[in-house]
Amino acid sequence: MRKLLEWLERETGLVSAWARFWAQPLPAGVGWGHIFGALTLLTLVVLILTGGVLMFYYSPTPDQAYASVQYIEHYLPAGQFIRALHYWAARLIVPLLIIHILRVFFWGAYKRPRQMIWVTGVLLLLTVIGYGLTGYALPWDQKAYWGTVVRLKIAEGIPLIGAALATFLRGGEAVGAVTLMRFFVLHVFVLTVIVVILVAWHVLQVRRLGVTPPGVPVSHEGGVSMTQRLHPDHTLRIAVGATLFSVLLVALSLAFPAPLEPRANPMDTAYKPHPDFYVLWLHELVELFPSQVEFIGSFVLPAILVGILLIVPFIERNPERQPRKRVKALAVGTVLLILVVGLNVKGIRALPQPERLSPLERQGQQIFVELKCYSCHGINGGGGPVGPDLGHATERDPKAVRALLRDPTSHNAHTIMPAYQLPQETEDALVAYIVSIGPNSKMPPTPPTEPEKPASHFEENWFVNHKFEVRKDPASCNDCHKPFFCQACHQNRRPSSHDAQWLKFHFGNAAERPEMCASCHAPSYCDSCHRVMRHDTKWTQQHSQKLAQFGEKMKWAGQTMSQLCYHCHTPQSCQGCHTGALPASHKVANFLTDPQVGHGKVALKQGTASCNSCHQPKFCQSCHGLPMPHPEGWDSDHPKVGHKNPALCQKCHNFKDETCQTCHQAAPSSHTEDFRKEHPRRITDSGASCQVCHGRNACMDCHKVPMPHPKDFGESHAKLGAQRGWKGYSGVKRLQAATCANCHDMNYCNQCHQP
Amino acid sequence: MEGSMTRREWMVKSLTALLALIYGIPALVMLVVPAFRRQKPPWVKVGNVNDFPAGEPKAVTLSYQRRDGWVIRTVRTTVYVAAKPDGSLKVLSNICTHASCAVRWERERKAFFCPCHAAYFDADGKVMQGPPPRPLPEYPHKVEGGLLYVQLENV
Repeated sequence: MRKLLEWLERETGLVSAWARFWAQPLPAGVGWGHIFGALTLLTLVVLILTGGVLMFYYSPTPDQAYASVQYIEHYLPAGQFIRALHYWAARLIVPLLIIHILRVFFWGAYKRPRQMIWVTGVLLLLTVIGYGLTGYALPWDQKAYWGTVVRLKIAEGIPLIGAALATFLRGGEAVGAVTLMRFFVLHVFVLTVIVVILVAWHVLQVRRLGVTPPGVPVSHEGGVSMTQRLHPDHTLRIAVGATLFSVLLVALSLAFPAPLEPRANPMDTAYKPHPDFYVLWLHELVELFPSQVEFIGSFVLPAILVGILLIVPFIERNPERQPRKRVKALAVGTVLLILVVGLNVKGIRALPQPERLSPLERQGQQIFVELKCYSCHGINGGGGPVGPDLGHATERDPKAVRALLRDPTSHNAHTIMPAYQLPQETEDALVAYIVSIGPNSKMPPTPPTEPEKPASHFEENWFVNHKFEVRKDPASCNDCHKPFFCQACHQNRRPSSHDAQWLKFHFGNAAERPEMCASCHAPSYCDSCHRVMRHDTKWTQQHSQKLAQFGEKMKWAGQTMSQLCYHCHTPQSCQGCHTGALPASHKVANFLTDPQVGHGKVALKQGTASCNSCHQPKFCQSCHGLPMPHPEGWDSDHPKVGHKNPALCQKCHNFKDETCQTCHQAAPSSHTEDFRKEHPRRITDSGASCQVCHGRNACMDCHKVPMPHPKDFGESHAKLGAQRGWKGYSGVKRLQAATCANCHDMNYCNQCHQP
Repeated sequence: MEGSMTRREWMVKSLTALLALIYGIPALVMLVVPAFRRQKPPWVKVGNVNDFPAGEPKAVTLSYQRRDGWVIRTVRTTVYVAAKPDGSLKVLSNICTHASCAVRWERERKAFFCPCHAAYFDADGKVMQGPPPRPLPEYPHKVEGGLLYVQLENV
């Protein structure tokens, strides 16, 4: 260690410079009054240290700043303490600086040749005020936001440069992300660079010119005896003072953590920011002047004050330091001080007084919190934005308040506020508290919501916009909110989608996003109208059947099925499927019959799956009388069907054309050479099988008479000739030759008729 | 040197050390300790156990909040809950281990199907066919008071 120090001394000479600094001789009169400069420096060091640590966790963007401060406060070990240290050190450095400046002023320590020490000191005071103004905005709570808005507004009032200055600081038109980043960089970088330069200048000048011996005129300084050294004589005083000061600082920080108001809400215009106590006199100064010349109070007078402070060592050239020999200067200083203190006291008096609540009202306040009234109503800011802010309520009549609590619709027919039927005592207390709320009342502390509200809930117009978020992801709402949370407000106000036509169109929504319905409605809600019905694809295919079954089961005599459907559907909805909206394929002319583009072709080419989306498989059978298209094995089965009912085949196939002959090019095997003679005996099915190939009139083509002979042919065959105009025996002969001779010769007639 | 230190010097040094400790320790704690804290992955509620009868795996979409320092994000993810006839449950990721496509349960084949490269996983998440190198990841789960919870983060 020693070797290292020796090396350092050899290379840089820092060790001896360090020793020389602390060995600085001090004049005899330096005592406890001289420790405030050092205490201010210590506080500045504490501020830079704690500020540096806070910077590790702070995020200077509007959407994260507040969350990061909350993170520091609630999640980090010692986070709350460090932030409180920063907060209280920032408040205590101002009185320390003022005591230091007053000490220097009243002891005349600024006089030549130490005038530049004074000037840098005044500049340091301005820097510290700058720190306060910029640091104020960083937590991005209500106070930070609105305080910044108000101050930039005041800055705008400065003539000529005001508007430009405010716009530069804001970084644009409105206080927002750019403003926050500017204030952050000013606070942690720009002002810190300035303060380090000024402090170094200030301290090194004190080191060079020595500490002013108290009470000694400027010209007599040379004769003052140096009886003590900076270390350890004065450093002991500083160390003791610093320890006492630190005890105060730590005690304040532990007892009163830095406040953090609700997150900045640019919409909450009810919020009134109150300035910190040490700048109240500046605000009072602003208030002294009418708004047109507000800049006199906000800029001109403070500027004049700073100007006076800066030039004090140059205008006050009295070489004396004894107070009684410089009455004039002290009088002016004292008057200014009294003015400032007086204005500040006035400002403190003007602050809203803390509420004094009676025991009953205090009880009512508790009930206000327990019933979560604050989630809708604010009290001079804070609270939810749903109901009116109670701090601004015009009516304070207990009777009216009571009536409103019991039945809010009596006051406003469209209100969504729930009615509260409270026990008498509870109601009395709550009414007493609500009546006591005035423009100076404050929101009582409310329990933290658990889990924390997501950032979206603090966005502008969240209450108007939440429906979009709900639509995006209802499941995420249900993570925190209990089922039916929506109904707390929506009991009288249905979602905007639920308009007069809603009932007719809700099915699409319910089918696609059932979770949307579930966010308000119980799962059994659908069944209260629909019973057990579910309109799925199967339902579409079977609806006529199902409806019939269902109606029978429920014994809805007199109520037609269509009436049941018309709860939701219009008569036109049937036509959507049944006539109007036919698929494009069905709109081709001759869809039913055309062999090229007709339904048979479609069904064969594409399969019947697409048909089945509307039609049941049996739909084909209703016309064709057969399963269509022809099932497998049809080739071998079709003679049976065709023989039995050739008409079925003829619906599509024309026997006379090539239909049969494409397969049956040769005559059937039954048609042997003697088939013509034999066929009457071989036909056992009344000719149906013949018709498959020969057509319906196959017999007539040859026989000229219906074959086989009908039952009454014995009596009626005589008329055959007469029908054709053949009369008499010659007629009979003609008929026989033309018709009967195909099978019978004339001997056949003789079996009955005697020639 | 220590021997020659006066009482004043000793006082100043000890008070300075005290001050350094008062301000230094909390600052160090705030900087160092949080970095070494391990965050336990949260248990996310999936639903009532009775909603998952034995048979086919059922897809459940979960939405929960993930904390990253002070940034809280709502994360959505889908898991498949497969109940065995013996009453045991299995909670599977729906992300294919090959190219991170979402798989879906195909009733006809009784398998998870990944449409990207036609991979199939069986009901336990084992690879039946296709390029995935590993079975579908399984999430740890627990049942408390009839409710099924799943730990999604440490897969």
